[in-house]
Amino acid sequence: MFRFITRRTLGAVVTLLIIAACTFFLFFAVPADPARLACGKVCPPELLEQARHNLGLDQPLFVQFLTWVAGIFVGRDYEGLGNCAAPCLGFSFVNKAPVLDTILDRMPLTVSLTIGAAIVFLLFGVATGIVAALRQGKALDKIASVSSLIGASLQIYFVGTLALYFLVYHNHILRQPSYVPITENPLDWAMGLMLPWVVLAIIFTANYTRMTRSTMVEQLSEDYVRTARAKGMQNRSVVMRFALRGTLITIVTILGVDLGTLIGGAIITEQTFGLQGIGQLSIRAVWSSDLPMLMATVMVAAGAIVVFNIIVDVLYAVIDPRVRLS
Amino acid sequence: MTVRKRSAVAVLAIGVLAVTSACAEGNQGAPAAQPSGSSNGASSAPAAAYKPAVITQGTAEDSKGPAIPPEGVVKGGTVTMIDRDDFSHLDPAQIYVNTEANFARLISRTLTGYKRVAKGEFKLVGDLATDTGTQSDGGKTWKFTLKDGVKWQDGTPITSADVKWSMERTFAPFVTQGPTYIQQWLTDVDFKKAYPGPYDGKELDAIETPDDKTIIYKFKTPHADAAYAFAMAGYGIVPKAKDTKEQYDKEPVSSGPYIIKSHVVDKTMDLERNPNWDPATDPIRGAYPDKWHLEFGFEALQVTDRLMADSGADQTAFTFYASTPPERLQQVLSDPNLASRRMNSPSPYGNYYYFNLDRVKDPKVRQAINYAWPSKQIQQVMGGPAAAALPTTILNENTTVGYQSYDLFNKETKPEGDVEKAKELLAQTSTPTPTIVYAYNQTPVQEQVTVAIKSALAKAGINVVAKPLDRKTYYDSIGKLGNQFDMYWGGWGADWPSGSTVLPIIFGPVAEGAPNYSHLKDPALTAEMDKITAMTDIDAANAAWMALDKKIQETITPLVVAENRIATMLHGSKVGGAEIDPQQWIVQPDTIFVKP
Repeated sequence: MFRFITRRTLGAVVTLLIIAACTFFLFFAVPADPARLACGKVCPPELLEQARHNLGLDQPLFVQFLTWVAGIFVGRDYEGLGNCAAPCLGFSFVNKAPVLDTILDRMPLTVSLTIGAAIVFLLFGVATGIVAALRQGKALDKIASVSSLIGASLQIYFVGTLALYFLVYHNHILRQPSYVPITENPLDWAMGLMLPWVVLAIIFTANYTRMTRSTMVEQLSEDYVRTARAKGMQNRSVVMRFALRGTLITIVTILGVDLGTLIGGAIITEQTFGLQGIGQLSIRAVWSSDLPMLMATVMVAAGAIVVFNIIVDVLYAVIDPRVRLS
Repeated sequence: MTVRKRSAVAVLAIGVLAVTSACAEGNQGAPAAQPSGSSNGASSAPAAAYKPAVITQGTAEDSKGPAIPPEGVVKGGTVTMIDRDDFSHLDPAQIYVNTEANFARLISRTLTGYKRVAKGEFKLVGDLATDTGTQSDGGKTWKFTLKDGVKWQDGTPITSADVKWSMERTFAPFVTQGPTYIQQWLTDVDFKKAYPGPYDGKELDAIETPDDKTIIYKFKTPHADAAYAFAMAGYGIVPKAKDTKEQYDKEPVSSGPYIIKSHVVDKTMDLERNPNWDPATDPIRGAYPDKWHLEFGFEALQVTDRLMADSGADQTAFTFYASTPPERLQQVLSDPNLASRRMNSPSPYGNYYYFNLDRVKDPKVRQAINYAWPSKQIQQVMGGPAAAALPTTILNENTTVGYQSYDLFNKETKPEGDVEKAKELLAQTSTPTPTIVYAYNQTPVQEQVTVAIKSALAKAGINVVAKPLDRKTYYDSIGKLGNQFDMYWGGWGADWPSGSTVLPIIFGPVAEGAPNYSHLKDPALTAEMDKITAMTDIDAANAAWMALDKKIQETITPLVVAENRIATMLHGSKVGGAEIDPQQWIVQPDTIFVKP
């Protein structure tokens, strides 16, 4: 198992380096001039040159990339702007601060949003999927199928806006979404994120219901399930010990991708509910042409997906011993 | 004096252009009936009425604190402000745009400032100074005396040395954003070359401080309106002993009524009272709430929805600049329950469709286009009379002392365009069916505006070729001297209520990227502007600017005066004293209070 994890981790580092290189060359090749933006609107040529030098933009692009990578391990000093301690993902000339500081400030919200929503949609999605599979062709199955189809068709900006209007602005049932650290007040933390969790769950539950149902139906018709039943094992045990275990691989796969994507920035969700997470940070970085911040948010998103992929791979091995053997 | 104001207006224009295309009914947005920008007494009618701001010069007595309180004022509580963007700069020297200048009133003071004396009425008074200054030497020398009891947040007295230092540091290379008027008056147009700033120990001789209370500025040429220039937030003061150069932008020292307690960039900011600010020295700032909580990251629609809902903590919330977006405008304007929480105010900026005089050379063609211009149709595209007014003058009524209206091209009587008159004029030219290349900012609203222009001018026989331009590079494109366009939109905002910060700029030097987008080169006009600038009688100068405005349109016609946006904003039910500052087009903090 150790070798398996090591191999996957090294692969992830290489993947992230490739993503970093692609992102860097793509972003820094665009016409926006970070030095001009950093220097201000009335910027004499000599000051512009100074700003370019301070930001390291007077170096060849490849050198700039290597300097950026080196900054992650040893930190970096931006002349006239300040020091960026390791791990330095860059220095935002808009915020005039290391981008990692801002990302770390926004990350707890995004993580809270993701974990809370995941618990809700995972519980509801898997439970509904199991019930639908066990009641295949019955009314419950049909209701679950139609509901999941509707849920999958909805968009967060639509459901979120409606929910805000009816539950917050019009009927005052829920409070305006906000973030309070869980360490400060757990109840306020939960209540502040309740609406985004529910809305995210409505959208995501549908997918989990459908995937759980279809995989479970498949599993229930497998030979080993039939054998278990033929041997007189209780239906509950058959479902929970055999069929559900086989279904978990599919669930874990899509969960890994969803968690990675949400941690990387639930852009529309955060924008809809006015939450200051990684998603909104990346949108603002685009608006203000804050390339270092944009680069960092992309790397966070990529890193989240890569990390969750490793976790999924490890979980594969836990759930299905055949993966370890192969 | 350079390209900065253009950018500020551009930012506003872009922000506001996104706030368009709703449909609303009402009047023409012009008749005077109630003070501009006020929420109190607003009717539930779909459109509001406005009267221009009244700005006069106050006396030493007017310059004494405390500020005149708004009706029903209550001290204490925490007020919340919600908006989209954080402030890019907190160092006064770097402040130029209205959002930052407005916030700066809470933490920074200037030599002079605007005191609200009644709804829509303001007086220029001494802020740190005992009055608006004394001029001598024909307006070339200006002397100010600091008030007793003005202090920094640490309790040390504010001295003339601090005031001098604050001006000197605006010459430093790292200061690239603030206003440049006074620096140029003290030295040269290229002021950064004339003086490198105070950090190497060299002082600026043109500023004298004979004692701790007195400061004297010696300009190269007369400037009768200097007292207005000193009111700009960009000339706010910085303590010599605590100046951290570039870093000051992150951690400014307060001379105003509040101190920044915490600031998470782009997220939140909290202010608490400055114990060393004395209201008796301040005729401008009421500083009624105990604390300010500012939240950033909310789009105009979210802000409007929250303020409409008025639930919980949002009852004590307001917005500095989030104007009601088109999808809510009709609802906000027609809901009688929102009437007492609604504020309206037309833009104080000048908006123009410039002719490129290098290409559209015949004045009769320019006049014909002015007559045929579809102002009413454009107004409808923008959301109707409740969302846009139709000015007829180059100078904006809200930012021009001594404003006089005129209507040279029948815009008031025929806002849909006078096609017959346009045809009549075109018939007198060598090209009765001219082709006009019209460049526009490619936004959904401007696409619709362009269709309206094309269609209306076609009726007069003018063929419009529309050229969409990218929003990010729009000003770069129209700023090129050799651009291949005949007409394009551009904005400009006055830095103080006088034509002196508008006409000499938009008809100033013709250069690459300069704001003279019409490329108007007329030695006689330049001489006349120089003559008015040198006038020592400010009232006579204001009258002369207004007369020149009309003369330019009459004799040269370098532009079509564009529609003027009207902002509609809301505030929470427990927020009192909220008013849109007609000069800055933003809710000013001086009169805000929290109702129990």
